[in-house]
Amino acid sequence: MEPDALVRDYLGRLEAAAWPLPAERRLELVAEVREHIESALAESGQRDEVTTRNVLDRLGAPEEIVAAEAEGMDRRFGAAFIGAQPAALGFRWGASEVAAIAFLTAGSVFLPFIGPLVGLAFAWSSTQWTRRQKWVATLIVVGLLMVPVIALMGARVSVGA
Amino acid sequence: MSVEIFLVLGIFLIPLAGIAAAIYLVASRRRDG
Repeated sequence: MEPDALVRDYLGRLEAAAWPLPAERRLELVAEVREHIESALAESGQRDEVTTRNVLDRLGAPEEIVAAEAEGMDRRFGAAFIGAQPAALGFRWGASEVAAIAFLTAGSVFLPFIGPLVGLAFAWSSTQWTRRQKWVATLIVVGLLMVPVIALMGARVSVGA
Repeated sequence: MSVEIFLVLGIFLIPLAGIAAAIYLVASRRRDG
């Protein structure tokens, strides 16, 4: 069976098992688990059938994940991943998350340009934020950093005109 | 003149950009753990 088909099958079972959860939480849960699978496969450096099966086996049955979620248990499944940073359904403040916030705030003041970019790099290395959240944060930083550059270019054009 | 604009905007906007992104990331984190 193709690795991608295995992942699709697993996520399908997860979505089916998650029917008691609110629709929004169900979609979020599937997205989170998908992200964890992708990062575990990326970290393992392989994407063959055996590696994929190992990652999914270590995650546990989709029904167990849903049961833990439904009971509001503080269940971690990050330990299931080979060499991956432990992650949980809830937010966990780890080194990457603290470094991201520190570089984005204090780093922006003391290390102009470099600070926020390093902060974003830490945010992207974290498994605690979703890909969408990372993109929004990146757009906020890049968008505001582009303002002085555009102003500079605009001033040069007007001077040259 | 253009360099001054760049510096003034940069001084204000770089911290603003980082802090705005940090506020967003902290505010949008999952709280159900």
